[in-house]
Amino acid sequence: MSEPMLSVRDLEVTYHGHGGDVPAVRGVSFDLEKGDSLGLAGESGCGKSTLANALLRLLPAGTEVTGQITLDGKDVLNLTPGGLRAARWTSGAIIFQGALHALNPVQTVGEQIAEPMLVHHTAASDSAAGERVVELLRRVGLPAARADSYPHQLSGGQRQRVLIAMALACDPLLLIADEPTTALDLMVQAQVLALLGDLKQERELTLMFITHDLSVLTYACRRLAVMYAGRIVEEGPARDVFENAAHPYTRALAAAFPTIGDETSRMAPSGLGGDPPTPGRLPQGCPFHPRCPLAHDACLPVEPALRSSGAERSAACVLV
Amino acid sequence: MRAGVTNLVEVEDLHVHFGAARAVDGASLHVSPGEVLALVGESGSGKTTLIRAIQGLQKPTSGQIRVEGEDGDAPRPKIQTIFNPSVQMVFQDPTGALNPRQTIYEIVAEGLRIRHEAGEEVERVARALSRAGLRPPERFFPLYPHEVSGGQRQRVVIAGAMVMEPRLLLADEPVASLDASIRGEILALMRRLVDETGLAILVVTHDLGLAWNIADRVAVMYLGRIVETGPTEQMLESPRHPYTRALLSVVPETREMEQQILTGEIPDPARIPSGCRFHPRCPLLQSGALPPEIAARCPTDDPGPTPVGALSAAACWAVPA
Repeated sequence: MSEPMLSVRDLEVTYHGHGGDVPAVRGVSFDLEKGDSLGLAGESGCGKSTLANALLRLLPAGTEVTGQITLDGKDVLNLTPGGLRAARWTSGAIIFQGALHALNPVQTVGEQIAEPMLVHHTAASDSAAGERVVELLRRVGLPAARADSYPHQLSGGQRQRVLIAMALACDPLLLIADEPTTALDLMVQAQVLALLGDLKQERELTLMFITHDLSVLTYACRRLAVMYAGRIVEEGPARDVFENAAHPYTRALAAAFPTIGDETSRMAPSGLGGDPPTPGRLPQGCPFHPRCPLAHDACLPVEPALRSSGAERSAACVLV
Repeated sequence: MRAGVTNLVEVEDLHVHFGAARAVDGASLHVSPGEVLALVGESGSGKTTLIRAIQGLQKPTSGQIRVEGEDGDAPRPKIQTIFNPSVQMVFQDPTGALNPRQTIYEIVAEGLRIRHEAGEEVERVARALSRAGLRPPERFFPLYPHEVSGGQRQRVVIAGAMVMEPRLLLADEPVASLDASIRGEILALMRRLVDETGLAILVVTHDLGLAWNIADRVAVMYLGRIVETGPTEQMLESPRHPYTRALLSVVPETREMEQQILTGEIPDPARIPSGCRFHPRCPLLQSGALPPEIAARCPTDDPGPTPVGALSAAACWAVPA
């Protein structure tokens, strides 16, 4: 295969806060081929959103980022400000979580969708941008008249569609969706997932999808990576990982979303005690061991590295 | 008509209108001791308004709400959760529901103090915390919400409700804002409280997996009405109403089912469609598979709400009575 659309090597992201250094991403490497889709799963604080934001250098100033990110052949961490501006929206675009907060309340949605096109000169004029806004709104299933609406006049599902239209404005190659369906109810979530699937197909988009809902990722992505305490702890073909997890943490996440009709989960919700560890104060050895139902002495001395656990699969657990 | 004196709550033909918007439009349901009823529906179906009415936070336009322990003829007090300790509420987001400047002891004791039930306060707070799985309870007394885990915070919220020794818990999306791994432990706690104390829970959710995990019965709400109700296994394994079937088909895990993604969103409750309120979005009607004499009724004749006290019913012309 040709060069991957996205290649991440030994990525480390550290926030320097008042309370000391917080390592949010601690050595993540993966490749994403053109047209492929990767789901990134994990709980709050596992580093998944930090990772997504690092890919387009959207982290707060002063955040330390080391390693290598190659997106569409560009060395993201060493781009000039001009090169970075060009890469955002066109090489990669993010659909942010929280559809209400990501939109400007005092601008119409049409103006907001047109903005990246005008900034990046992908539309020659205001009127060309206006035509493209209408086309994008139609594509995401909204009437053209919605261009004149303000965000508060739209439902949650409609706002999510606006954010998708905005992300598509400059024809990005990589689309990163950070919790795009979390606040939406079941039917609207299905509508948004179907729309993303169709767009991926027709535009040959490379898709990276982030959420804690493993069942959504399994449905929407070909590959799945599970993050815990700033590292990928399991990775592989999505359905394979979901149904036959190698890492005890993945198993717990997968069991949290029961299969309707499965007698073993009827009246038997499955969970995992405790909270994810606080970045900066990780337990010694495997960071999952204090919550792991299978923990034993071998988990304590060193943090296990990701290693092969089958075809196209890897996991970071001493039991693998 | 009373479905039986054993019910904790009976809601009969309830209407809650806001001007022209009929948010709740003829809903009936009941909850018995020791059972979990999951009230399922999309945003805008009226499910939150319905439980706010049960709680006494929303005045019904018409219809009956009977809660055990209340005088049916007397006017209902405004805030049910304070005046009727047997109905308590658990909110969605534990971090937002807890006062960060109060200790866990003070948070849990607050309901007792508001009701001037200060007798045996320490014992009752300890019992509630311990029931909610926070043991030994004394260890949690002096802690502040930020000092415990996310799962423990939701347990504190539940303890704050349990301290009033309620018969019925109203829970609005109790795990929607929690991480996946914590979700299961909170659902397991809710089910255990029901099994061990005879508590009843009415849980509002759009999460059908939650219903499969803990609910005895499911009621599906659409545009202000219950359109199908039945035992959980029946509702989730062989639903009859086309709306329930569509909801089930889009759960990511039910992959064998052919997806029926409904277009658009729930219509404006100020403009409820004629006939069957679901007919403009109904995949069964749109498929053309219905016999013409039934298909002709859907846009004009209202199949009516599911009957009061029904254990299994679907408001659809295509479902045999």
